[in-house]
Amino acid sequence: MRPIKTFAVVLSIAALAATAAAAQEASLTVAFAGVKAHKGKMMGVLFDSQAAYDGKGEAVRAFAVAADGATIEERLPGLKPGRYAIRVFHDLDGDGKMGLNPFGVPTEPFAFSNDAKGMMGPASWDAAAFEVKAGDNVQTIHID
Amino acid sequence: MDRRSFLNLGAAAGAGLAAAAWFDPDRVYAQATAPWTLGLADVEDDVAPHKLRRLHGRLPAGLEGALYRNGPAKFRRPGRSVGHWFDGDGMVRAWTLAGGEATLAARFVDTPKRRIETSAKACVMPGFGTKAAPGSQLEGPDDSNAANTSVIRVGDALWALWEGGSPAALDPVSLETKGFAVLRQDLKSMPFSAHPRREASGRLWNFGWWRDQVVVWRLSPQGALEDARIVKLPRASYIHDFTATDRHLIFVLQPWVQERMAMPFNSGFAWRPEQGTQVVVIDKADLDKRRVFELPPFFFFHLGDAWAEADGTIRFDACIDPDPSFAVTGAAKLLSGEASGGPAPRLALVTLGADGKARLEQTSDAAEFPRNDPRYAGLAGNMTVHTVIEPGRPLSRGIATRDWRGGKAQAFDFGLDHLVEEFVFAPRPGGSAAFDGWLVGTTLNLKAKASELHVFDARRVADGPVCSLRAEAALPVSFHGNFVRG
Repeated sequence: MRPIKTFAVVLSIAALAATAAAAQEASLTVAFAGVKAHKGKMMGVLFDSQAAYDGKGEAVRAFAVAADGATIEERLPGLKPGRYAIRVFHDLDGDGKMGLNPFGVPTEPFAFSNDAKGMMGPASWDAAAFEVKAGDNVQTIHID
Repeated sequence: MDRRSFLNLGAAAGAGLAAAAWFDPDRVYAQATAPWTLGLADVEDDVAPHKLRRLHGRLPAGLEGALYRNGPAKFRRPGRSVGHWFDGDGMVRAWTLAGGEATLAARFVDTPKRRIETSAKACVMPGFGTKAAPGSQLEGPDDSNAANTSVIRVGDALWALWEGGSPAALDPVSLETKGFAVLRQDLKSMPFSAHPRREASGRLWNFGWWRDQVVVWRLSPQGALEDARIVKLPRASYIHDFTATDRHLIFVLQPWVQERMAMPFNSGFAWRPEQGTQVVVIDKADLDKRRVFELPPFFFFHLGDAWAEADGTIRFDACIDPDPSFAVTGAAKLLSGEASGGPAPRLALVTLGADGKARLEQTSDAAEFPRNDPRYAGLAGNMTVHTVIEPGRPLSRGIATRDWRGGKAQAFDFGLDHLVEEFVFAPRPGGSAAFDGWLVGTTLNLKAKASELHVFDARRVADGPVCSLRAEAALPVSFHGNFVRG
C-alpha cells in the first residue's frame, strides 16, 4: 500500500502544480470597435512596462490584424498576468508605417488601450495601462 | 445699496487684496453696462430660418444669392470660459436673398471641440489664447479647431475655416456639419487658412502655416486639389492672411515670431520690432522663385488684394497696428467687457518697387476687414471696402471705400448704436467696372438688440444703405464671409 499511497501523493502534487501553472497563464483578446474603413490592418504593440511603452525598452508583442472583417480581433496567448498597455494604428494604405503629413501630424487613425486620449502626444502609460489577470481577458479599443 | 458700494464693502470686509483686484468694481460695472458687449454675447441655440423685416428700401433686382458669414458665438460655459475672442465656437450664418425677400438661418459648426466642451460643461480645449484645462484631448490640430473664422463655397459644399486645421464641410442649405475635409489622404490635418485668395478665373490659392513653413494649396474653380507644396520662409512669423496678384503669392512676415510651441498658442510668440517686416514675393508659376523686401516693423491681421503694374511694381493695402497687443491681450479683454483702449489699426499701402525697395504709406483711416471686387482679384484697378473703427471703442461703426488710383474715398457712419461687420462686394449682373454692384454686410443694432443686413450701391457708399432689413436674432460680431450668387 505504501508505494501506491506515495504515488498517489506525488500524482496529486503534480496535478496541483499543473493547475498552478495554468493559473499563471493569461491570454488577451484585443478587439477593435467603431471601425469606419474596413481595409488595411490594425498594427498593434503590447507593452508590459512604462519604460517600454515610452520607447525605452522592448515590446512584449507586436501584431497585425486584417481590418476588413465584421469582427476585428487578435488573441494574444501565453502572457504573464500583470499590467499592460497597447498602442495601435490603423494602417489604411497597408504600407506598414504610420502615415504622417508633411508637418508631422498622423494621417492614419491611432488609439490606445482603455481608449485613453493623448494631449499633444500619445496617451500616458498611466492612462493606457490595464490589468491582465490569469485566464482570458478582453480589451476593446475604439479606433477610426 | 448699489452694486458699487456692495463690491467695495466686500473687499473691505477682508476678501483680501487679490480678491479686491480681481473684483475691480469699475470693471464689473463696465461689464454690466457697456452696450457693445452684446457683440460678444453667447448664443445658446441654432437660429431657425426666418424672414427678415424690411426697415427701408428694397432689395435691388439682380442681387440674388447668399451672404455666408462665420464667427465665434459661444464663449462661456459653467465650468470655464474661453480666454480669448478667437476661441469661441464657430457659428455659420446664411443671409439668403431671393425674389426680393431675405432670410437668416444660423447654425453652430459641430466640431470635436464643441462636443467635448458641451459634455464637460466647460471650455477645456486649448486655443489661440486659451490654456488647456483638465478634460481636454488634443491628438491632432482639428481637436481644437473652432471652425470660426470664415466660410467659403467650394464645389457643392460650404467650408467653415479656421487657420490651424482642416476646413469643416457643411451642407449649404441645412448648414449641417459633414466633417473635416481631407484634400488628399497624405495631407490630412494640414492647416488650411481662413484667408484663401480666389483668382478672377475662380482658381483658389491658400496657405497653411506651421512655424517657418507654409503649405501652398491650389484648387480648381470646382474645388479639386490641383497642387500642394511646402514652402520654407525666412522666419516663423504669425501669418493670418496673405495676398496675391495674378502672378504672385505675397507673404508678409511681421516681427511677431513664434519662439516656442506653447499653450495658449499666442503665448509662444515674441514681438521683435528690431527685425522689421519682411515681404516674400513668390511666383505662382514656380514656387521656388522668390524675392524678399524689407519694411519697417508693424503688426497686421488683414491684407487687401495685390496687383502688379506694367513696370513690375507691386502694390497692396493692409490694415496695420503698431504692435500685437490686440492679438495678445486686447481681444482677450473684450470677453470680460473691457475695451483695450489701444490704437485702432490704420489703412496703409505697401509698394514693392521693381528696384527691390519697399515703401509703407500709412493713412489716418482707422480701418479693418479690407475686401475687394473678386472680378479684379490680383489685377490693377480694383477697389477696397473696409470697416471704420471708432477709436476708443472696440469694433467698427461704419464702412468706407478706397480707390488707390485717386478716386474719392467714400464713407458711411452707422453710428455708435451699431457694431459693423465686414462688407463684401456682389457684382451687378451684366456690369464689369470695378465696384459696379453692391456692398452687402451686416451690423448688430445695439439699440434694437437685433442683427441687420444692409445693402449699399458700391459706388455710392456715402448715400447710405439702399436697403436695410432686420433679423429676429441678435448674433455676436462675426469675422469673415463671402457672397455666393444664386
